[in-house]
Amino acid sequence: MSSLTDRYLSATLRAVPAPRREEIATELRGSIEDMIEGRTGAGQDAATAEREVLNELGNPDRLAARYADRRLQLIGPTYYLHWQRLLRLLLTFVPALVGTLVGVAGAATGDGPAAAITSGFGTAFEVAIQVTFWVTLTFAIIERADPALKLPAWTVDQLPEVSEKQDMTLTDIAASAAFLLFAAAFLPWQHFWSWARQVDGERIPLLDPVLWRSWLPVLMAVLLAGVVFELVKYRVGRWTWPLVAVKAVLDLAFSVPVVWLLANDRLLNPDLIERFSWLQDEGNLRSITVITIITTVVILVWDLIDSGVKARRAG
Amino acid sequence: MVSDDILRTHLQELRRGTVVVASLVALRQPGYGYALLQRLADHGFPVDANTLYPLLRRLEEQGLLTSEWNTEERRPRKFYQTSDDGETVLRLLLTDLSAVQKSLTGLIEGLDR
Repeated sequence: MSSLTDRYLSATLRAVPAPRREEIATELRGSIEDMIEGRTGAGQDAATAEREVLNELGNPDRLAARYADRRLQLIGPTYYLHWQRLLRLLLTFVPALVGTLVGVAGAATGDGPAAAITSGFGTAFEVAIQVTFWVTLTFAIIERADPALKLPAWTVDQLPEVSEKQDMTLTDIAASAAFLLFAAAFLPWQHFWSWARQVDGERIPLLDPVLWRSWLPVLMAVLLAGVVFELVKYRVGRWTWPLVAVKAVLDLAFSVPVVWLLANDRLLNPDLIERFSWLQDEGNLRSITVITIITTVVILVWDLIDSGVKARRAG
Repeated sequence: MVSDDILRTHLQELRRGTVVVASLVALRQPGYGYALLQRLADHGFPVDANTLYPLLRRLEEQGLLTSEWNTEERRPRKFYQTSDDGETVLRLLLTDLSAVQKSLTGLIEGLDR
């Protein structure tokens, strides 16, 4: 049976470059025996001394790495920040982009909406994992190959802009306002210029026309009030708690009726459902309703948390 | 009161470079790994064995130490000795070390005044 020292030596030398192995083995064995003798000389029994000496030398892989001058890290400080920056940059848009394309392609080739959304999200997730893996692998190889890669050094030019209105750039405000206007315009558009047609070519509004006498004008008013809110917010220049409160009221005034109408199957035009057979399938209609409700609620909650956090930061 | 961990880290940082200096000084007389470990410890430079043994090999590769196998004793031992290059580097290191000490003293006295 091989001794602990033998096992320790073979575990260490396994990870040391071959040309120097023999010499390191002889020297290390000698050193270990010296250390054991130092302890037995002080009255310790041989077996305990051997154990303690090897424990003191520690993990053989770590010792071998020190002999080989090898780094015990996947990506070290030289490349870490570059790795982090590239990964963040790619993850902000690549998975979402590919996922959306796959989802749209799925919907265009006749998958049901639920299947298209599922495959879109699934693809986005896979892409995120792939991107992370390959970027990390590349940097881990660079770290080990050590080609003395001259990555651009940091200069003050890379400092991000800090503006007083950090949480409300004009771009953000414009984007939000445009989105709200677009959503408000969608309501009359879907009524008069819907893409869905009856067999005889007559257009079918997507939303129940009966709602024009009740909820649709309210929703439009709320959306337009949202545009005004964005302008006021920009004038104020930062999130304040009253602004958060108004935002919450507006968000709720839109989300609650939408969710309620959806949940009671009152939002979609019954003619539309009659026209398209896959909408008549109870399961399909249910999943569209559920997905829309969940999306609405998630956006609502996210929006409230986001404005709350920003108000807190500004205050 | 600062925690022991913080203190230990700072002491480690302070001591790190001095192991090389101490080894180069001690190896003006030839010595092998374990004997050097003992000598350094006796003189107030406690070094971990798993740091010192690889360090000796690295200094040898850098040409600061020469080595010779001694096979006359009970077991073969590799004896290291500070080379001429090692001596040159050592002098520069010692000069710098005393410069650091001097600057520090100056700083301390300057503040006391």
